[in-house]
Amino acid sequence: MKSGRLKKLNLSTGALIACLSAVLILSCDKSFLDVKVQGMESTTTNPNLAQDLVTGVYSSLLQGDPFGNGDLHGLAFYSATSIMSDDADKGSYAADQATTAGQMDEFTITPTNQFCNTLWSGHYNGIGAANQALAALATASITASTKNELKAEVLFLRGYFYFNLVRLFGAVPLVLSVPKDAHDANTNPVYQTRAPLSLVYDSIVKDLQYAINNLPIKSQASVGHATKGAAQAMLAKVYLYQNQWNQVLTLTNEIIASGQYQLVQDYSSQFKQAGNNSSESIFEIETGKFNNSNFGINNCTVSQGPRVGGKGGWNDLGWGFNNPTLSLINSYEPGDGRRAATIIFIDNSGTHKGTVLWDGFRLPSSDSVQNLYYNYKAYTSSTNPSKETYANPGDKDRPKNIIVLRYADVLLMNAEAALQTGGDAATPLNLVRQRAGLPAKGAVTFTAIKQERHVELAMEEDRFWDLVRWGDAASAMHAAGKINFVPGKNELLPIPSSQILLSNGKLTQNPGY
Amino acid sequence: MSYKFLIASLLLALCHFDLEAQERVVTGRVTAKEDGLALPGVNIVVQGTARGTTTDADGNFKLDLESKDNALIVSFVGYKTQTIPLGSQTILSVVMESEASQLQEVVVVGYGVQKKSDITGATASVKGEELFKQPVLTATQALQGKMAGVQIITSGQPGTSPQIRLRGVSTALAGTTALFVVDGVLTDDISNINTADIVDMNVLKDASSAAIYGSRGANGVIIITTRKGASGKIKVTYNNNIGFRQAANLVPMANSAEYNNYVQASTGVVPPSSSYNTDWYKTILRNALEQSHNLSLSGGSDKSTFLLNVGYMNDNGIIIDNNFKRLTIRLNSDYKVTDKLKLGVQTSYSNSINQNGFNNLKIDPNGNVGGVYNDAYRAAPIIPNIVNGKYGNTSVYQNVGNPLLDIKNNSVKVAENRLQGSTFLEFKPVTWLTLKSSIGADWRNSLNRLYNYQIIADNNTYVTPGGNQQNPLSSLNVQSTQTFRWVWDNTATFSKKIGKNDITFLVGTTAEKYSQTFFSALRKNVPADPSLWYINVGDANTSQNDGGGDAWARNSYLGRLNYSYDGKYLVTATLRRDGSSRLPIQNRWQNYPSVGVAWVMSNENFMQSQQLFDLLKIRASYGKVGNDQIPTNAYTKTVALNQAYPFAGGGSTAINGAQINQIIDPNITWEITEEYDLAVEFSLLKSKLNGEVNYYQKTVSNALINVPIPRTVGDADGVILTNAAGIQNKGLEIVLNWKDKLSEKLSYTIGGNITLNRNQVIALNGGQNIYDGGVGSQGFTTNTDIGHPVGSFYVLKQIGVFNTDAEAAGYVDKNGNQIQPGAVAGDFKYLDAKGSGPIDLIKDRVFVGSYQPKAYYGINGSIKYTNWDFSLGIYGNAGNQVYNGKRAARTYGTDNIERALVYNRWTPSNLTQSQPAANVGNLPASTYFVESGSFVRINNITVGYTFTPSVLDRLKISSLRVFITSQNPFTYKKYSGFTAELPGGPTNSGIELSTYPTTRTVAVGINLGF
Repeated sequence: MKSGRLKKLNLSTGALIACLSAVLILSCDKSFLDVKVQGMESTTTNPNLAQDLVTGVYSSLLQGDPFGNGDLHGLAFYSATSIMSDDADKGSYAADQATTAGQMDEFTITPTNQFCNTLWSGHYNGIGAANQALAALATASITASTKNELKAEVLFLRGYFYFNLVRLFGAVPLVLSVPKDAHDANTNPVYQTRAPLSLVYDSIVKDLQYAINNLPIKSQASVGHATKGAAQAMLAKVYLYQNQWNQVLTLTNEIIASGQYQLVQDYSSQFKQAGNNSSESIFEIETGKFNNSNFGINNCTVSQGPRVGGKGGWNDLGWGFNNPTLSLINSYEPGDGRRAATIIFIDNSGTHKGTVLWDGFRLPSSDSVQNLYYNYKAYTSSTNPSKETYANPGDKDRPKNIIVLRYADVLLMNAEAALQTGGDAATPLNLVRQRAGLPAKGAVTFTAIKQERHVELAMEEDRFWDLVRWGDAASAMHAAGKINFVPGKNELLPIPSSQILLSNGKLTQNPGY
Repeated sequence: MSYKFLIASLLLALCHFDLEAQERVVTGRVTAKEDGLALPGVNIVVQGTARGTTTDADGNFKLDLESKDNALIVSFVGYKTQTIPLGSQTILSVVMESEASQLQEVVVVGYGVQKKSDITGATASVKGEELFKQPVLTATQALQGKMAGVQIITSGQPGTSPQIRLRGVSTALAGTTALFVVDGVLTDDISNINTADIVDMNVLKDASSAAIYGSRGANGVIIITTRKGASGKIKVTYNNNIGFRQAANLVPMANSAEYNNYVQASTGVVPPSSSYNTDWYKTILRNALEQSHNLSLSGGSDKSTFLLNVGYMNDNGIIIDNNFKRLTIRLNSDYKVTDKLKLGVQTSYSNSINQNGFNNLKIDPNGNVGGVYNDAYRAAPIIPNIVNGKYGNTSVYQNVGNPLLDIKNNSVKVAENRLQGSTFLEFKPVTWLTLKSSIGADWRNSLNRLYNYQIIADNNTYVTPGGNQQNPLSSLNVQSTQTFRWVWDNTATFSKKIGKNDITFLVGTTAEKYSQTFFSALRKNVPADPSLWYINVGDANTSQNDGGGDAWARNSYLGRLNYSYDGKYLVTATLRRDGSSRLPIQNRWQNYPSVGVAWVMSNENFMQSQQLFDLLKIRASYGKVGNDQIPTNAYTKTVALNQAYPFAGGGSTAINGAQINQIIDPNITWEITEEYDLAVEFSLLKSKLNGEVNYYQKTVSNALINVPIPRTVGDADGVILTNAAGIQNKGLEIVLNWKDKLSEKLSYTIGGNITLNRNQVIALNGGQNIYDGGVGSQGFTTNTDIGHPVGSFYVLKQIGVFNTDAEAAGYVDKNGNQIQPGAVAGDFKYLDAKGSGPIDLIKDRVFVGSYQPKAYYGINGSIKYTNWDFSLGIYGNAGNQVYNGKRAARTYGTDNIERALVYNRWTPSNLTQSQPAANVGNLPASTYFVESGSFVRINNITVGYTFTPSVLDRLKISSLRVFITSQNPFTYKKYSGFTAELPGGPTNSGIELSTYPTTRTVAVGINLGF
């Protein structure tokens, strides 16, 4: 009996030990720990990776996080281009964004200015997305012609990002590839030191030239994508900033001769939804809807909407930034139709009539609105879906396209280059003037061209850089009362101090900061 | 599924295996008097013979008797030997009284139990009743001040878990959650555990004791054992407490007159005249009712025992509309199938509903505008809260939300069901071998529902229309999350005593798998009636949805050897080999060894003649533990989806796209902590005085850190997570406990513990320091850098106030450059730390201490006098700094101001050097905002009265105690803000932005037994 029990015991012990061994073997099975990351695409699981990444580069145009990770065409961008110029004041009330947009308005910018930070990161985010797309394209199994066209689109955008960077910050690090790994990202001097300005410009020219050679003309391209004409116009502008007049003239003549573009009849129509991607449009930042939500540049329009301030009484349209200045208002010749298309005038007559906008919306008078002038080109309509449609019209921050390049700009570049090279400046200039309802000019002066660019492209984020390019920044700023502008310093923004700290000083600061 | 599971468990519990008792056999169970816990290894010998047995791990024994046997001798080291006469009974219940109970406590260590005297590592435990008597939300909270080396940082918010820091901060960016082991189930959240269910919580503090949990051990391991039934007749107990909570401390804000005075002085603008004088904190806070009830039923036979406990808690938050309800049901049962085979099941079900929880009210942890508590700080008193059903319009006046409307404009509900359970099978084929297999599972299902009311900024909503606090379209957002995890442990324990050598050897394997999925949906234009708060009611054209998931697996092998020679020389060695799917294949496996040795000097022969020490033990240990709480995707290059672009413009729908915008470290690995521990334990004066002095040094050499990389790389957040930092904690823990019985009527205890900790970043290995702790427009406020504690405050040094404009203008550096150009009288004067003016808001910052206390301590005492009992717990910390971030977030001239600042401010007639003149806020980060975080608090005072049996007999009840208790009744602190207890991440703690106010509670309750 005793031995029998022992046997039974041994049997069950054996069984348990066998079980345990099974468990051990099971646990040893390597696949148990091969759990894939859930719900996140890796570079190997997306068959359309290259194409998707190209769309992603376009998507980076929509960055509008001026307080966080990056701004490419949002509040920070218009602060550094429009508010900083003599066209606009910061707006809102004095303390609102005083340390960001306010510093830009008054030229008291410090290297810790958050908008400088996010403009820097926003543009490099776009460049990073472009470099990643290029790397994926290099190995993608798609036809050569598709690949070249996609690559050209990416290079067009990368060229544009660098063009903005050199205008904002001067010489910048020239990053044209993806870091191998974290160590490379942290130690490779490419990411931490400025390239000579000429090298950055060479890269921009090279990128845009590739785009010109490989992109279709507008009539053959899908709407919203970069085109040959867009690349030509961008490159012409790049040459314009370097006073290379012959190249500007050649490129703009080619665009004019292509027959792909013409001025729209109604100047103001371009700044409404119905006028998106018009015959005049060369390249726009496109907005619309996604996931049944408004989809555009965060806070770009709401931040420019008329603000009630402390005055009460109505549901205002926005935060009240980027107010056109008297200096801009007074720049228009009598009878210039562009003035009313560019500026919302708040009724200050004391009659309380208010201001009725193009869609019938009535803005209250100055007793209920913080400041007197607002940017009409940033207005969106929610009064009637037949005028402008939005996924969520109730949201004050409705998306709106931003025109980066249009035909009028090309005509004016053509005129400026023609004037500099002794060609026919009057024809292109007068096309623009006549559309605005102004008489043609016979003899064209440099001043006339500057004036025309000023009013034609007012509030379109070009003015400050034009002034710098012409060497007029100091005088124009001082004339507009922005007395803190220091020539030799304020033409450029400071390099973000956080980035200088990160580079252990390898990244150098701009003069004067 | 949950119901079936519950019913099955119930049936199992109630079907007792009442096998026919054999003649001449006696069975029984031996428990300790102090805690009611089973005592394993107790010697039972038939009087006058050599026949006998020992109790098993659960204190049970079985003994064959001969007819002449008439008594049993029951003995166990450290306990009084008893002689039990044998009558006709066949089932014995023996209660052992300890000689010096503290020394012989049985401690639950990982995958087994050990006598406290045999332990070679640092552990600390607290009994369930110590925790349960405090009217707090989770057991973790009740641990505060009870243990050396365990810092608990309170949150006043219902339904949230407090933060635990074990022996300092040993990570910067990986998870900081301690590992909880509830009856063998590994979890990171015990908000589902009813404190009344807990027998004890045992904290494995040093690496040598936590190494058995390997990569899970770095943040400490807290082992929770839940109650079990005892054989005998069915016992019914009922406990409750009902009380009120209120904010423990408020900062008085300016009233309308004071506000007007200050705003006029700072902005030069006279605020609009107003007849209102709103106290916004009063508007949103309340005295909140709190109650909890527990009904338990336990009993069993010699073959099976069960415990059923039903708990209900209803806790109203001190912020209006906030409420947390929780129902818990626990059923634990144990079955003795044969003498060699045992089975146990522990199950717990919890259902909780958290309404309008603070965190869900769009609190921005970075302290930007938004959030009711923050708005209450900023909202002007001249605006009414609500008048005849219409809200005062703060946003139209000052662009700050009306705090009352912040609460009323939405409804948040988080409902969670959680089923947690484990079952084990234990087989003991021979006395020296125990085989155990256990499976635990934890299933959570939560449903979040957020409804945002339509708010039109018109005359119907507001006293004055306009402003930005509005929501043109109502919306409903629901999110459902399901989490499931299981863990399967298999162990074999060999235990043998050969002469004076006592050897226990454990080997085992564990496997664990976790998965989570969530999906959410949103629609707009959903009517305000709660019966319509379903997605199908909303406008389908506004549908949005989202979803995702996570999964990981772990696999481990473990071994432990305990060796004791004659109870004098002790050695423990463990090795765990851990594998995790969260790590790249080349780093997937890691070994975690540990060794501990101890010398129980008091057991030496030469110590037997002395009378002073009852115990003197010296121990030393070394161990390695890891922290693998890193994101599952940390090493995988993933593609950011939904980077769309609407090419056609004109309101068209975007085409989907993608970006690769995260640079990753493909070689990421878990953080490894190495710890040395040296301690002396002693017991003196007939065990009246017990104590422990413990030194530790723990070093993490590869802490994960978000290394900022140049933005030029194009990384979306500008950082790479990598193993770069070295962090060290050194500390000393001292514990002293005194207990004495002065007479049969009067006994008392008094004890204290103190932990001194020094934290330092010792290496960054090419990585960059971390700036964190963003506060509004000030930017970062902390710097984690070599030579300083993690998350040290790094700000300008405020050295005075300029009394005149001339003084400000004359403040120049050695080259004569103005240091603060533009400064005027009444402005702060800052130290030009780098010695070259003008002040640079970053470069001139200095280190000024950290949120980590240099010392934290607890004092606990109790007195028993006849039927009365009294207990007191005190907790405090010292030597840390906190940041008054709420004050710093004052960025507009129209924001309200603290009353004290109205009166204490600098004026030409009050030349204070510590407060600035009236200002519009936006002050740079400076030492002005850094204040001492030291505080002492009475954690709990309880007075109870236990009725004598003579009274109870008439009432037909077996025990009755009534008590009154107060949690957090009094705090002494230097800090001028709301609370100095400010949880947060390792690099951004100690900053008061939107912290839920700590609460004070007074409650009464009864403990009733039938």
